[in-house]
Amino acid sequence: MREVMIGNFAIARGLVEAGLELAAAYPGTPSSEILPGIIEFKNREKLAIHAEWSTNERCALEVAFGGALAGRKAACMMKQVGLNVAFPPLLHGYAQPLKGGLVIVSCDDPGPQSSQTEQDTRLLAAHFGIPVFDPASPGEAGDIAYYAMKYSCEHKVPVIVRSTHRVSHARESIELFVPGSRKVKLDEGLKLKGKGRIGIVTSGMTCSITMDILDELNLGDKISLYKVSRVFPLGTEVIGFVNQQEKTLVLEETDVTLEALLDHGFKVLGRRSGHVPSAGELTYDIVRDIICRFANDHGISVPEFNADTSIEDALKEIQIAPRPPKLCAGCSHRASFYAMKSAFPDAVFPGDIGCYTLGISMGAVDTCLDMGGGVTFASGFYDTFAQDGTLKPILASVGDSTFFHACLTPLYDSVLKKRRFVLVIMDNSTTAMTGLQPTPQSGISADGTSTYSIKIENIIKGFGIEFLRIVDPYDIPLLLRTIKEAYEYLETESAGPAVIIARRECLLFSKIREEDTRDMARLVAECTGCKICIKTFDCPGSYFDEEKKKICIDEGLCIRCGMCYYACPTSDEGKSLKELKKVRNEKKRREGREDSKK
Amino acid sequence: MGDNKGEVEGANNFYDIQHRKYDVRKGLFAMNLQIVCAGIGGRGVLLASTIIIETAIKAGLKAMASDEYGMSQRGGSVVSLVKVGNFASPLVGRESANILLSFEESEFYRNLPFLKTGGVTLVNTSRQLLSANIERLLKKRRVQYFLLDADAIAMQKGMIQSSNMAMLGFFSAFDITPFSCDNIKETIRQKVKARLVEKNLEVFQAGYESAQSFQLSADSKNQ
Ligand code: SF4
Ligand code: SF4
Repeated sequence: MREVMIGNFAIARGLVEAGLELAAAYPGTPSSEILPGIIEFKNREKLAIHAEWSTNERCALEVAFGGALAGRKAACMMKQVGLNVAFPPLLHGYAQPLKGGLVIVSCDDPGPQSSQTEQDTRLLAAHFGIPVFDPASPGEAGDIAYYAMKYSCEHKVPVIVRSTHRVSHARESIELFVPGSRKVKLDEGLKLKGKGRIGIVTSGMTCSITMDILDELNLGDKISLYKVSRVFPLGTEVIGFVNQQEKTLVLEETDVTLEALLDHGFKVLGRRSGHVPSAGELTYDIVRDIICRFANDHGISVPEFNADTSIEDALKEIQIAPRPPKLCAGCSHRASFYAMKSAFPDAVFPGDIGCYTLGISMGAVDTCLDMGGGVTFASGFYDTFAQDGTLKPILASVGDSTFFHACLTPLYDSVLKKRRFVLVIMDNSTTAMTGLQPTPQSGISADGTSTYSIKIENIIKGFGIEFLRIVDPYDIPLLLRTIKEAYEYLETESAGPAVIIARRECLLFSKIREEDTRDMARLVAECTGCKICIKTFDCPGSYFDEEKKKICIDEGLCIRCGMCYYACPTSDEGKSLKELKKVRNEKKRREGREDSKK
Repeated sequence: MGDNKGEVEGANNFYDIQHRKYDVRKGLFAMNLQIVCAGIGGRGVLLASTIIIETAIKAGLKAMASDEYGMSQRGGSVVSLVKVGNFASPLVGRESANILLSFEESEFYRNLPFLKTGGVTLVNTSRQLLSANIERLLKKRRVQYFLLDADAIAMQKGMIQSSNMAMLGFFSAFDITPFSCDNIKETIRQKVKARLVEKNLEVFQAGYESAQSFQLSADSKNQ
């Protein structure tokens, strides 16, 4: 039987067929679909596999590790930067002989497209001597997942399967086998034998692209190609291949891994020699350019690809709407950010990782480092300002899943150190960015069954945080007042961090309730054409009609939440908000005067 | 850049859409087709590309897709690259695609650099004409283009979200083997939720039919 599926499902299928018994993961693009895939195939095959969303990657790896030590076939999945979070158990544990098997799937993000940094999982694996495989297609990813589990059981060591977004999110027809019956031979070795004395060593999706390009350029019989699947430990055959060539070009994503392992001085060309760009995805066009140059430099003449620039010339006159990612129309995060920014326009805004990182465009997110960085940066900023003797407003934002993932430790640390900042926990009851996975608060497990729900407010109370408010962010005036109240609290002697939970469900998750909707006609009718709402609120539910010189509602997108009324200075709501802001300004002015008197 | 090896002679010139078909009997590898499906979140781009690759696979061809939808739920671009035939990767280079299906006008412009000389493009737009500059460019690059108000067709059938089906219907009128009207319909029946199948097929059919009239008007314009 065959079925079209994405690479991540193929990996899930391979693992399930290999007899997987325990799986743990934390979602992160491009790895998020593997665990749901495992649950899908587990249900189809009626197997008893324990599959869970862990609180973070470290938990996922340790749970799987425990299973493997106790004799289970276990796997954990994460994205490449998630592997950093799981680093301690990986480093300390990889030398422990396993009774069962452990496959760690880590999905890299060349580009990067949806991460803060590129990062090459293979480099880390090779550096610490952990076997690592690099599949070149969804089909091969499934085979390798299967093979890796056997390999791990046989050698009693953890094994890493490294995928990239181009493998994880590519789709092709995959053959399904009865669990345990798949026959896998590693697809590795000489793929093309060229007449010349130059060759290419490559792995992963870059290998597939390279094969297509050699075909397109009719170079298949001129340049030899060696495909690597197991990057570490690297086979000896490939060394022989390199020895036979005058020059070998290494094409790989994302870093210098094969190139470093081959290490043949000037015989091996790649990133270090400047033949391959040092960062960024190796796209079809980039690889084509590299190969053209490589061939031409070594006496094989191929026409260079000359882009027809008349395309760009003709497109110049067209205004292609830029499509920066935006929060959804009516997203409650937008309301939260608007209230935060209105309350303290000059505050420092440490942010975190999630949909709400998009608050950057509203000026309500200044930093985005890693999971939990919202709280720790707030801490660092506070300590710095405190040293200088000033209390500058610090408004940090983190999401609910991120809160559970990485914020508990830094938060109780800040309680102990009496750090004065406002933490807004944007609780939309789900992990929205990566596809609506449940959080520890949801009361749902990975397979949809119900479980305990750990309430964020209970944790906050347990930490002894005195200032805690739970606000519906759709009530912008209330949220604004609450933020100011929080800041007033921070000015008192005994203060520690102040926490506001801005709670409203993600719109991908639940529709807006009818009683929360507003009539939007007034916004359009009273619009004076000042465009202030576009600048400060920028909801995709409305746009500015340059001909009519008026705001327009996009009926297809707008959910009639009415939040944009608050961003409009001519509307009653906007005016009321202005009043609220004024109160504070007067207070500030008064204080300023008192300060100068001192 | 040279045409793909193994492609049927002249078959990537779609000037005579009605009569020149890909001849799949020449073997699995005779047909190397690269299709770019481009749109924005919520336009059914991924469903359309799924239907295309499933149709090809059912016909015994090798087909792959690579999807890019990072922030599509938040209104961003969605691009699905489809390669049918003897390819190792699903990725498409600049000026390499035979066909560009644009489910949204702005994405047509953004993805135009993918389209090869002599390619075909179908654009979902309410426009009757493209700007003079773009038209000149397409002519120079021997690109055959079709403007289809797929949104209007879908709206007419009361299925605002199904403009992708109208696009597929029109595409099926090119009758590139194996993407015939019947074959695609069959895949739609299997891939679309049961309660939506009939309605979707209606929109598909309307798209297919508008291709027929389009052909006529295009011809008469040429005379
Ligand atoms: S802020 Fe108000 S007046 Fe200004 S453009 Fe927006 S709706 Fe119109
Ligand atoms: S009412 Fe305003 S804020 Fe709400 S979705 Fe519509 S345009 Fe966006």
